[in-house]
Amino acid sequence: MIRQEAEVILQKTFKLSHFYDEQWTTIEKILKGERVLLIEKTGFGKSLCFQFPAVLFKGTTVIFSPLIALMRDQVKKLTSLGISARCVNCEQTLEENSQIITDAKNGKIKILYIAPERQENSEWIEATRQMNLSMVVVDEAHCISVWGHDFRPAFRRIINLVNLLPEGLPVLATTATATKKVESDIAEQMGNNLSIIRGTLMRDNFKLYVIKVNSEDEKMIWLGQYLNKFPGSGILYTGTRVDTEIYSKWFEYLKIPSAGYNAGLDAESRIAIENGLMNNQWKCVISTNALGMGIDKPDIRFIVHTQIPQSPVHYYQEIGRAGRDGQPTHIILFYNPEDRELPEAFIEGGRPAISKYEKVIIAVKNEMLGERELIKKTNLKQNQIRVIKADLIEQKIIREVTIGKSKKFEYITGAPKLNTKAFEELRAGKTRDLEKMIEYVETNQSRMKYLCDYLGDYSAHSFNNCDNTGLKKITVSVSPEWNQKLQDFREDYFPELEVETKGTNLANGVAASYYGISNVGGALHRSKYENGGDFPDFLLRLILKAYRKKFGQEKYDLILYVPPTKSGDLVKNFAMKVSQVLKFPIYHDLTKQRITSEQKVFENSYLKHDNVKDAFVYNAPDEIKGKSILLIDDIFDSGATVKEIGRYLSNIGAVKITPLVIARTVGGDLV
Amino acid sequence: MNKEAAYWITLAHLPGWGHLKINNLIIKFYHENKQTIEDFFQLSENEWITQYGIEYKEIEDLKKAKSELANNAFLAESLLNEGYELIPITSPEYSKTLKDNLKAAHAPALLYVKGNKQIMHEKSIAIVGSRNASEKSLEFTDNIAKLASKEYKVVVSGFAKGVDKQALDSAINYKGQSIIVLPQGIMTFGSGYQKYYKQIVEGDVLVLSTFFPKVPWKAELAMARNPVIYGLADEIYVAESSEKGGTWSGVVDGLRKNRKIYVRKPEPSENTANNLLIQKGAIAVDFNGNPVHSYQPVETIEFTSVANEPVADFKNKIFELLSYGEYSAKDVIKKLRLTWTEKKLRDFLKAQQEVETIHKKPLHFTMKNSIIKQKKLFE
Repeated sequence: MIRQEAEVILQKTFKLSHFYDEQWTTIEKILKGERVLLIEKTGFGKSLCFQFPAVLFKGTTVIFSPLIALMRDQVKKLTSLGISARCVNCEQTLEENSQIITDAKNGKIKILYIAPERQENSEWIEATRQMNLSMVVVDEAHCISVWGHDFRPAFRRIINLVNLLPEGLPVLATTATATKKVESDIAEQMGNNLSIIRGTLMRDNFKLYVIKVNSEDEKMIWLGQYLNKFPGSGILYTGTRVDTEIYSKWFEYLKIPSAGYNAGLDAESRIAIENGLMNNQWKCVISTNALGMGIDKPDIRFIVHTQIPQSPVHYYQEIGRAGRDGQPTHIILFYNPEDRELPEAFIEGGRPAISKYEKVIIAVKNEMLGERELIKKTNLKQNQIRVIKADLIEQKIIREVTIGKSKKFEYITGAPKLNTKAFEELRAGKTRDLEKMIEYVETNQSRMKYLCDYLGDYSAHSFNNCDNTGLKKITVSVSPEWNQKLQDFREDYFPELEVETKGTNLANGVAASYYGISNVGGALHRSKYENGGDFPDFLLRLILKAYRKKFGQEKYDLILYVPPTKSGDLVKNFAMKVSQVLKFPIYHDLTKQRITSEQKVFENSYLKHDNVKDAFVYNAPDEIKGKSILLIDDIFDSGATVKEIGRYLSNIGAVKITPLVIARTVGGDLV
Repeated sequence: MNKEAAYWITLAHLPGWGHLKINNLIIKFYHENKQTIEDFFQLSENEWITQYGIEYKEIEDLKKAKSELANNAFLAESLLNEGYELIPITSPEYSKTLKDNLKAAHAPALLYVKGNKQIMHEKSIAIVGSRNASEKSLEFTDNIAKLASKEYKVVVSGFAKGVDKQALDSAINYKGQSIIVLPQGIMTFGSGYQKYYKQIVEGDVLVLSTFFPKVPWKAELAMARNPVIYGLADEIYVAESSEKGGTWSGVVDGLRKNRKIYVRKPEPSENTANNLLIQKGAIAVDFNGNPVHSYQPVETIEFTSVANEPVADFKNKIFELLSYGEYSAKDVIKKLRLTWTEKKLRDFLKAQQEVETIHKKPLHFTMKNSIIKQKKLFE
């Protein structure tokens, strides 16, 4: 097919008049059954390079993509063009996914988007035996490489699959961000006969700024002052989930329309926020970097980072989502020298201790175990187990197998020893990347050029789009009024305890503070572990304020408190004081019927749950029937204790159980 | 090899193609034309015809197979990911014993395995027998497995109830090595991998299948698997066989392929077909597996009474008995518990064309094409 012919079809099917040269070069190769790695910036039109041939091919094109939002988006677009496209992902019901897979089997689908994890699903593998496959696409191909900024173990299997596909079946791998090192890693893994097509990365509509500050307060105050003055709507990236919550409360306090987004939200809320972003419902969406990859909004007008990303690749990837319409777009990075501690901690703590790896290896060598059994056997956290598991699979020490319907880990006969050097190399690589990111902050040269160079695009441009090359530098000045505003906000903001679950009468409660963020944690620690006596009165004032803020004048029939494991009567005495002020009667009949360990010694929620299961008993159940209960404790971590008590009290007739605690921890297991 | 996995899966399970046809094709492209399987499948239809002289019907089969390569790539990926290995007949890892024993006519083109592949290259024995074998047979099995394990011989087992299972359990018990030959696809052995986990991890057990990886257990697969069990073993021991079923047909098949097969010498009171196998050419062995050359199985064959059956039916029974040796009319009446007089039987036998009369006292009879005679022809 020649280009002119193709462009006639392009006009008819996609309502576009022509291809860019690099698009056509790619498409020509694909139509000949070749394999291509395409590296082009966001907004270039990579998708067309597989969508167009997919429409010409007889059978089904399968696209492996890690980005659910992107899949949804593209399916919508293709459907509106009358092209039969679907996606299979974990946000849909099993029935929906099964139906789509069946349709694909019956040749009813031209373009099928699918998450790489689906390769672990036997129904899918079974279906692939009967599908008429025309092409395989690996989207976000940098996820293949451990040297990339977003290595995903599930991509390992996709690469293995690509290497097993017969010659002549076209394969396209695409990415917007691959350094030279990642590029050659991908090329090596994808085997011979791969053509690489690389475009330029320059985004000249970006206005790049770095704002140097000395505290978190300065960031919050500057944003409070100026965010509303930016044109259009955009995204604010924070370093942690807690920060997304704090910033969104801060903006709420200042009446700046915003929404907080993180990967912990359920699918429905995520979709609602993504839609709101598309419709400019808010000034900004506040998010960890879970949001935005693959969101097809052309007019994101600004992107602000309150936390320095781990590497220039992360940064380029995240800002790449803005300004795809080519209009001026503000790109702002805050930097406080202390900020490097978070990515450093992430790099240092990115891997569990070697002894924990050994523990897992020994356990798996001994018997075939599922993830849950492994967590129980080793007393390791779920997220640690996942990191260890991925590394051990990567190093070919264990593998995941399917026994019946469940996944188990097995030891590989004759496996090599754990290679800790590989970890050190990766860690050193990440540290270098972070240094490079800090260099971006410190440079007095063109920031755009710095990013392009780092990403392997050495093409010549004139760069005058940053605060080093023509734009005015931004500095922060803090007025006393804004300081006061921030202070008032801080004393008026209390973390919520989300404990509502089906089948119990638990209601969401509130904590007086986060454990680590204020002086509350220190005060608790002194009383509990350093014989500091009763909890100090300022905690009482704070918890009462939290109560009033959340519940107003709401009445409870009675107050109970969590019986202690070790710390004696601290919680009891504290609860009695709360009872005196709120004037709800306090009962002392909730006790433990067996000895439990302190929850903090358990590293994961399964063991925490086992530790407290059926541990509590109420000695006069009649007092509870039909009552609403305020349940007081000092620290809320995984919530396992509160949930267990809530379950028990619901069973004996309580109509409402609401936790009220002094502090909730940050970053607990499964948070 | 992994790169070729999808190709081998496709070729090995070509519908309607037997082992010989598949192997002949492999011999052509691999040994004669020095091409890889990938090269072969990349050829055009025309090249298949001109270079390989493949016929129209086969071309259609191969074209269909070619269109399934991508689909099988998905299957191959999931197989390899779960730690199964694929060993094509062209690989040095393929069991030499199996290839030598089964030859192109019967050797499967592809083995699916999990565990220590090296086991396939050790000296090996198979112990086979009934699913509901007697205590005696199981003791024999246990003892043979024990002796084999002591001599570092691998025990090949079919993972059926009775003797197969005993052979495996004993080999494991005596810290020997075993190959489990599955009567099903390698991916459907689920709980088995859990049960033999330690042995697989420690390299003492290899699980092997020749069938499509996802096909569940079927009676015909159990039958089809038997030649592989015999083929993988250097020596074959039969603990107990009845007159039909897997063991019987397996051993008869093995004898037809000129394998040396050792059969446990039965007790006089036993109602097994061990003696029949010995008569058919298998070698009687004692409890320790040592050949008992002096053993004469004839006297102990037991047949059930056929007295009341229609003539045609006991005619068959008589013919079958005579196919194993020379018998007097008295012998026949006793063995088959007939109600006839000796004279009546003698007259009957003399009148049959297929029966040869041997003129010694008393008169003996045998079938003109008896097995004993056939065997002599080949000696």
